[in-house]
Formats: sequence, structure tokens, C-alpha cells
Amino acid sequence: MAKPAVILVGADKGGVGKTTVARTLLDYFTAHQVPVRAFDTESPRGTLKRFHPNLTEVVDVTQIGDQMKIFDTLANSSAAVTLIDVRAGLLSSTLKALNEIGFLDSAKKGQITFAVFHILGPSIASLDEIAETSQVVGEANYFLVKNFINNTTFFEWDPATYSSYFNRIKGAQEITVPKLNEMACEQVEVAGVPFVGFVANKNANGEAANNSFVLRGYVRHWLGNVWSEYDRVKLMDLVGSHDGASMPAATS
Amino acid sequence: MSLRSFVTIVTSPRPHVGKTLLARMLVDYQLHSERKVAAFDLNTRDAALSAFQPNHTTFSGVADIKGQMALFDALVADDGVHKIVDLGDDMFERFFLIAQDIRFAEEARRRGVAPLILYIGSADTASVEAYAALARLFPQAIMAPVHNELLGSAQHRDKYPPHGRGSALLHMPLLAPGLRRVIEQRPFSFVETSGSAAPDVPLEVHIELQRWIRKLYLEYRELELRVLMADLRSSIQS
Repeated sequence: MAKPAVILVGADKGGVGKTTVARTLLDYFTAHQVPVRAFDTESPRGTLKRFHPNLTEVVDVTQIGDQMKIFDTLANSSAAVTLIDVRAGLLSSTLKALNEIGFLDSAKKGQITFAVFHILGPSIASLDEIAETSQVVGEANYFLVKNFINNTTFFEWDPATYSSYFNRIKGAQEITVPKLNEMACEQVEVAGVPFVGFVANKNANGEAANNSFVLRGYVRHWLGNVWSEYDRVKLMDLVGSHDGASMPAATS
Repeated sequence: MSLRSFVTIVTSPRPHVGKTLLARMLVDYQLHSERKVAAFDLNTRDAALSAFQPNHTTFSGVADIKGQMALFDALVADDGVHKIVDLGDDMFERFFLIAQDIRFAEEARRRGVAPLILYIGSADTASVEAYAALARLFPQAIMAPVHNELLGSAQHRDKYPPHGRGSALLHMPLLAPGLRRVIEQRPFSFVETSGSAAPDVPLEVHIELQRWIRKLYLEYRELELRVLMADLRSSIQS
């Protein structure tokens, strides 16, 4: 049996699209038939839970009881992957808490696979976040995600400066999430379903919906590009699975 | 799924090769066959199809998402309506890029709609290369090269091979010089002139026009039947 994998999705700034990235990851693992569970730390009301209600539990990651709920169940859970969508501003403190409870040591010893998806914002402050998290991230698989879904321009970044921060984290890899058409993005939000559900034209109850074929096509094309990035960084190898994914057809 | 209707895209990356004339003929062919038809005019420079066939044509665009939704959602709708798209050279690339991204041809097929591209060939290399690229990008579509005799006698058969089940070369017969003046009046319907001659059309012009219409209708009907027969054969075999 593969060792459990924990994926932390976070940013120290809000509005950079970390829940969007978390949703693409849940879709990706589900499409690869990897059992996955998620914890949404936007307590008491979680955005991730709205899109993936059957996979997601809302927790307060600052509370010991909820930390136990997540980390004490890793070995016994049927889920091979545990994804934690960390509330804005809590990435550094969550990593510090994981260090304190010995979780990062377990990852260092190879007992747990640990990955961090650090979603970057367009401002220079994001580079400071990298510097801060690099001190505690240890042996985690570190992914710096440039999220262009909202047409973000990383205008403040000097490439040389960015590289110097980037290189502080050993083995860090960069992932690019491309832009998705605004209306397509908005319609998925309104539908409140996973991206794959929108592509397959299903509503939240799994029944046939009436979404635009064009918008579904855009979402499928975009999601395919995002998943290509996950394939490129060999995410399935990281979580110890090698099954192929299947994107739903845009059936009516 | 068996094919129930067609989305016929009349196109070429070159201007002035007879796209709108062919699209007009196809709209009238569907009306003549007492079928439901909807036409989409994708020409930014000259909305000619809209002017000739105002009652059946929607002026369309693919520049923004709303235009794309209005167009492509209508094209793939399995509503029994035959759709004709007059795709101008100015929108040629953008249209097919979007169609590829959203997998238009696959979705149309899935809904029983046959995507048929009528490509008016010309001798230039860019046109030949664009045809080959479309055949590669849209394996689900049927691509029929069109030889418009007005562009010359050379048919360039080797450069424009028919692509997809049932496809074949479609001939567009030469239009006699005297006819052009008649059919360029806007609006104009070939169906409405197919009965008795209009009062302002000389009898010999009317007869010549009918001969030309019949030739083109016959060409298209044969192509349609070939595609449907090929689809039927394929359904039986699978």
C-alpha cells in the first residue's frame, strides 16, 4: 500500500485562486481514480465544500481537535490523498504548526508524502512569502503556482529577483495555471459543481444541466491544460499511482 | 449515432472565391427541399448573405464569448434545423481555432449533426496548406473540396483530397455573365425564381438560371446522399 499523501494548497494572500487550484486537484485525482479527501479550512463556511461536498469537510486548522481529525487519521483513511485548502494568510502558520506536531519530521523520514502548492499573487509580497515558507517547508515537494485564471499579470516581478527567491527552496517546481474565459469561470461558480461536472453538463445533483456547449468547451480545454501541468510535474508518481485520467465528454 | 441534420460550413481563406454565392444556394436548396434552415453570416467586411437572405440569416461573430455562444450553441443543437455558415476569410482562422478548442466537430457528431466543410479551393499555397491543416485538426468533420469553375478549369484534385466518410469533390458550375446581374439584386432567392420567370427577367436568362441552379442542387444532393449512405454503412458495420 502506498504511503499517505498530504497536499497543502495555500497562500498568504487572499484572492489568488487557491480554492480554484484545490478544485482542479480534486478533479485530477478523481479522474485518475485516486481516493481523495479534502479539508476546507475556511471555517465555518467553506468554498471548497460548496463544489465538492462529498469529499470535503470544513475544519478549523488552528484547533487541536481538527488537527487531530486530519493528521491522526492519515494511516487509517481510505483516501490515498488528503488535500488541505488552507485559508488565506494561514500558510506560514500552518506549516509552523505542522513542524511543531512532528508532521514535517514524518515527511522527512519518508513516512508520509508531503507536497505544498503555494499559490502566488502578483505582488512582490508573494516573493516574501516564499522566503518565509522556505524556512519551515523542509523536505516537502514544493510547487510554486502562478495562477493566471483571473488574467493576473505578474508585473512587479523582476525575473532575477524571482529566481533568487525560487532557488531558496530546494527542488521547487513551477506550475502555471492558464487563464480561463471570465464568463466560463463565472458560470462554473454559479453552477457550484466540480469542473468535470460542468464539462459533463451535470448539475449539483448529478442530473443533466443546460450549460452552454461553448463554455463547457472552454472549461474542458482549460482543465486539460492545467492537468497537463500536473502530469508534467509527475503528480501521480508523487502520490504513488499511475492510472490514466479520463476527461468527461461534453455530452448534452 | 446516425446523422439527422447537417452543419455546412462554406469557407476558404481567400476572398472572392464564391463562398457567399454557394452559401446562398445552399440556403435555397434547403428551402426548396422544404427543410428547416438557419444561416449564419460570418463576414465582417460585407454581410452579403444577410442582405440576400434576411429572413433566414443571422449576422454572427466569434470575436467575443457571447457571439461564440450564440453561434456554436446553435450549430450543435439537435433541433432538426439544417445550418449553413458563410465563413469569410477574415474570420477563417479564429473560427477554426475556437472550433478546435471546444471540440465542435466531436460534439456535433455526438448529437447526430454532421459537420460538413465545403472548402472552395484555389491554386495558392496558403489555401492548399490551410486545407491540409483543417483535415488534420478536424478528423471528425467531412471536408469536401469545391471546384468553382469561375476560378479556372484546373481542379487541383491532388491538392484538395476529399476527407471524411462519403466526401467528394463538389463542382460549382460557371455562371453565365448575364446571370450575375440578375442574382446580385438584394434580397434575392433562387427558390422564388424557380417557378415562373420574374417579370423583369428575360425568358432565356430565366432558363439559363434554372439550368445552373439544377446543376448545383444536384451536385449538393449527391454529396449529401453520399455522406448519409457512408454513415449508414458505418452504423451497420459497427
